[in-house]
Amino acid sequence: MTTWHTLNPAPGIQRRVGRLILVATAVVVVLVLRLWHLQVLEGNRYLAMAQHNRLRLRPVDAPRGILFDRYGQILVDNRPSFDVYVVPEDVTDPGGTAERLGQLLGMPVEQVAEKLVAGRSRRFTPLLLKAGVPEQTMIALEERKLDLPGVSLRVHPVRSYPAGSLAAHLLGYVSEVNRAQLAREEFRDFAPGEPFGQAGVERRFDAFIRGIDGGEQIEVDALGRLTRLVERMEPQSGFNLILTIDRRLQDAAERAFASKSGAVVAMDPRTGEILAWVSNPAYDPGLFTQRISREDWGILAGDPRHPLQNRPLQGQYPPGSIFKLIVAAAALESGAITPSTLLDCPATFALGNFTFDNWKREGRGVMDLHRAIAESCNTYFYQVALKTGIEPIVEMAREFGLGEGLGLGLGDEGRGLVPTPGWKQQVIGEPWYPGNTVITAIGQGMVLATPLQVVTMVSAIANGGTLYKPWVVKRVESWQGEEVEEYGPEILRRVRVSPETLRVIRDGMWAVVNDGQGTGQRARIPWIEVAGKTATSQVVRKQAGQEKRGLKDHGWFVAYAPAHSPEVAVVVIAEHAGFGSAAAAPVARAILEAAFPLVTVDVPRGQRPPAPPLRPPVAALPRPEPVIAD
Amino acid sequence: MPLDRRLIQNFEWRLILTAFLLAGLGILSIYTATATASLPLKQHLYLRQATWFVVGATLLVVAVTINYRTTGRFAYLFYGLAIFSLLLVPLFGRVGLGAQRWIKLGFLAFQPSEVAKVALVLCLARYFEDRKERVTAPRTMVGAALLTLVPALLVVRQPDLGTALLLLAVGVSLMLLVGVRLRVLVPVGVGLLALAPIVWTFLKAYQKRRLLVFLNPNLDPLGAGYHVAQSKIAVGSGELLGKGFMAASQSQLNFLPENHTDFIFAVLAEQWGFLGSLAVLALFYFLIIRGLEISMEAKDLFGSLMAFGITTMIGLQALLNIGMVLGVMPVVGIPLPLLSYGGSSMVMTLTAIGLLVNVRMRRFMY
Repeated sequence: MTTWHTLNPAPGIQRRVGRLILVATAVVVVLVLRLWHLQVLEGNRYLAMAQHNRLRLRPVDAPRGILFDRYGQILVDNRPSFDVYVVPEDVTDPGGTAERLGQLLGMPVEQVAEKLVAGRSRRFTPLLLKAGVPEQTMIALEERKLDLPGVSLRVHPVRSYPAGSLAAHLLGYVSEVNRAQLAREEFRDFAPGEPFGQAGVERRFDAFIRGIDGGEQIEVDALGRLTRLVERMEPQSGFNLILTIDRRLQDAAERAFASKSGAVVAMDPRTGEILAWVSNPAYDPGLFTQRISREDWGILAGDPRHPLQNRPLQGQYPPGSIFKLIVAAAALESGAITPSTLLDCPATFALGNFTFDNWKREGRGVMDLHRAIAESCNTYFYQVALKTGIEPIVEMAREFGLGEGLGLGLGDEGRGLVPTPGWKQQVIGEPWYPGNTVITAIGQGMVLATPLQVVTMVSAIANGGTLYKPWVVKRVESWQGEEVEEYGPEILRRVRVSPETLRVIRDGMWAVVNDGQGTGQRARIPWIEVAGKTATSQVVRKQAGQEKRGLKDHGWFVAYAPAHSPEVAVVVIAEHAGFGSAAAAPVARAILEAAFPLVTVDVPRGQRPPAPPLRPPVAALPRPEPVIAD
Repeated sequence: MPLDRRLIQNFEWRLILTAFLLAGLGILSIYTATATASLPLKQHLYLRQATWFVVGATLLVVAVTINYRTTGRFAYLFYGLAIFSLLLVPLFGRVGLGAQRWIKLGFLAFQPSEVAKVALVLCLARYFEDRKERVTAPRTMVGAALLTLVPALLVVRQPDLGTALLLLAVGVSLMLLVGVRLRVLVPVGVGLLALAPIVWTFLKAYQKRRLLVFLNPNLDPLGAGYHVAQSKIAVGSGELLGKGFMAASQSQLNFLPENHTDFIFAVLAEQWGFLGSLAVLALFYFLIIRGLEISMEAKDLFGSLMAFGITTMIGLQALLNIGMVLGVMPVVGIPLPLLSYGGSSMVMTLTAIGLLVNVRMRRFMY
C-alpha cells in the first residue's frame, strides 16, 4: 500500500477512492448496527412474532376485462363464484362437520370426510372443498357458520357468458394455468391455479385482460383464524376489449347456422374487420371457468365432430367452384381469354383417357366468362385452365392470400394448399399432369383453403383489389374508458390484378345471385343487391363402415353486399350438407339481411325519407362497474 | 506470454476465495428457500444456480488469463453488443404487462441488463483512458453521460428501475472519480430532470401506471410494506446464533415472497443468525475494500477506473440489497450479487471479479 503515489496515473484518484472507502465503511457499520438491533436486541420479539406468524397475505383476484362487440354490447362478462374452503386444523368435530357439509353441498359424506383426512398433512392450509356453489348454498352455509368451525367462503370473479357459446372459438375460454405451462419460462410470474386465457382472444390478449391481482394482509390467531383485516390492496381489473364483432350479424349467423356443422365468417371488405365468426359444433366456454370435469373434457375431446376445432381458422377444405374466380382472374390477366371469349360448356370433357364431368348432366351450350361464372360451368373452366396453364393460376391464388397464413394471431392458422408442379413432384413424387390442372380449375384435387382465407380473398375482389389482414380487436381500454391500445386496418398487399378484370369477375358474381340461370339465387334479397359464388366441394370417399355423414359433399357460399359498394362479405361452409346453393346460400342471406335490415317508414308523398337512425357511438354507452370480489 | 513470477506473487487468491464462498452460501440458501416450494421446477433452482456458478467460474478464469489491456481493446465492442441485446429484449422477450428482461437463446434465457452493467464499466474506463488529457472537460463528460444514459433508458423501458438507477450511479461515480466538477454535473442532472415531463406525455396510460408502481412500490398490490415486515421478522427471529440449517420457518413457509431472489439475505440471516449475517457482511466488506485498493494501486488509468467501476457496481448492489432486507432502505428490485438466484448476474459478477484480479496481478507489468 506504499507504492500508490509513484504508480497511479491520474491525480486525485487515491484521495477520492480513499474517501469512498470511508463511506463504504460507514454504511457497513450502519448495517451491522441494524443487524444487532434486529437480531440481538429485538430478536426475542421477532422470534415470538415468527412463532405465531400473524400476518398473512391472501390474494384477491382481479376481475378480467370485459369483451364488448363493436357497438358496446357485452359478449363476455364476469360473475362472482363462491368457493367453500375448510382449514382441517380448525375442524373440532370432523364426523359431524363432514355430515353437515355433505348435506349442504350435495356431496357424499364419505367424500368430505376423506378430504378432511387427506388435508391433515397440511393442517393450516385452507383446503378447497367445492368451487362454484350456488348462491342459496352460500347463504345456508353462512347461517350455519357456528356449527361449522373451520369452514370459510371465498368469493372471486370468474368468467360468465351471457351469450352462451356465441363466437366461442373466436373469443376463447379461460381456465387455470396447467402444469405444463407453469414449467415454461414465460409463465414465471404465474402462480398455480391462476386463471389464464387458453384460446382465441382471451389468450392472445391475456396480458391486457388479466388485470393485476390485489391482496389482503390479514392477521390470524395461533389457530390460523382470521382476526383482523390489516390492509387491503384493491385489485385492478383488466383492460376491456372492444371487438370488431357485430352482435346483430353474429346472432343472425348463429341462428341461421344452428343445426349445421361448419363455419361462417363475415368481414368488412373495406378494412378486414371480422364481423361474425361461427364454428359449429360449438362448445360451452363456461365449462372451463371452474376446473373442467374429466367427463366433460372427455366428451369434448372425443366428439368425432371436433367441437374444439376452430373451423374458420383451422378447417381446410377444397374451395370448389370459388376457385374459379382465381382461374378467371389468372386467365384474363395472362391474356388467355378475354371477357368475350366464347367457349362451349358440354356435359363432359375428355382429356386423354380421362373424362371430366360438368356438375349438370346436360351441356349448356356456348357461353362467355360472365355466364360461365353465373352458371358455374366446370367444362368451360377446364378449357380456360388448360389455355392459361397452372403457373399463372398458382401465382394469382397466392396474390389473393391462398396457401399462406394471414396472421390473425388467434392460434394455429391453417395455411391451406395451392399445389404446384414442384410441390407435387416433391411430396407425391409424381410429375404434374394436365389432368391436375383441369381438376385444380374447379378447386378440387389438392387445393385447400380455410374459410377465413376465402372470405379475405373475396373481400379483396369486392373492394377493388386490396388484401386486408383480418383482425378482431379494435380497441383496448381501461375500465374508466382510457385508451390503452387502438388498432386499425392493415394491408397485406395490393393484389396485382387490373380493375377491369375485377369488374368482370364482380359482374359474374352479381349474376350468380341475380341472373335467372345463376346458381346462387337463394341468396337474393329484394331490397339490396347481393353478389356471390356457390361451390360444392367433394369429400373424398371414406372407407366402408364409416358413418354416412362423411359421404355427402360440403356446400359453400361466399357473398358480399351491396354489390356496387360492398360493406359486408360473408363465407359459409356447411359440412356434408350437399350443394352450396341449397345448404349455404340461405345462411349467407340471413346474415346479409341482418346487416342491412329493411326499415319501413311512412314517407309523405314528395318528401325524402328520413336518414336511418345512427347507431350509438361506443363511448356514449354506460360502462359497467367492474365486479370486485370481497 | 512468458509467465512472470510477479504475476503469481500478486495473484489475488483471497478475493477469488471470498467470491466463491459467497456463491456457495448463495446456493445453499437457495436450496433452503426453495426446498418446500410447491412446484418441482422451483425445487431444482439451486442446481441451476450451481451450474451457473461453474459457468461463471470458467469465465472468471478466462478473464484472469487475458491481459486486461487486451480486454480493454474490445470495450466498445462489448458495449455495442450489450446495447444490441438490450434492443432485442422487446422483440424476443415475453410480451405482456409484466417486465421484459430476458432474451431466449435456445434453451437458456439471459438478462442483457446484467451484461450491460459490466459492459458500461469497461466502456467508460476505456473512454476516459482515451481522453486522459482532457478527462474533466465538459465535452468529455457529456459523452460519458450519453454512454451511461443509453443503456439506462433501455433498461428503464423494460421496466427495471433498480438496474437503471444502478447504471446511472456507476456512471456518475466514475465521472466523480476522474474529477468532474459538481458545477458540470449538476446542470446536466437538472437538464435531464427537465426532460422527464416530456417523456411522460409520450407514455400510454398503462405504461405510466407501470412506472408509478416502480417509483412508489406501495402501489404494488402485493405491498412492499408486507415484504419488509416479513423480512424483518425473518431476520430478527434468527437471533444471535440462528435457527440452524433448514430450520428457517419464516423464509421457508412462503411468508416471504421472492425469498430466493431479492430477499435471499433474509433466508441466510434467519438460519445463521447475527454471526452468520456478520460473516456475509464481512465478506462483502472485504471485497469492496480490496477492490478499491486494487483501483488505487493500478498501474494505468484504464485499470484503475475498471477496478473502481466493478467494485462500485458489486458493492452498491450488496449494500443496497442488504439495507432493503433490513428495512433501512426503500424496496427497489436489486439482487444480492453472488447470492441471489439468477444466472446472468452470477456469471457476470464472477467475470467482473476475474477482471479485478487481473488488474491487481498486473500492477507491476508496465
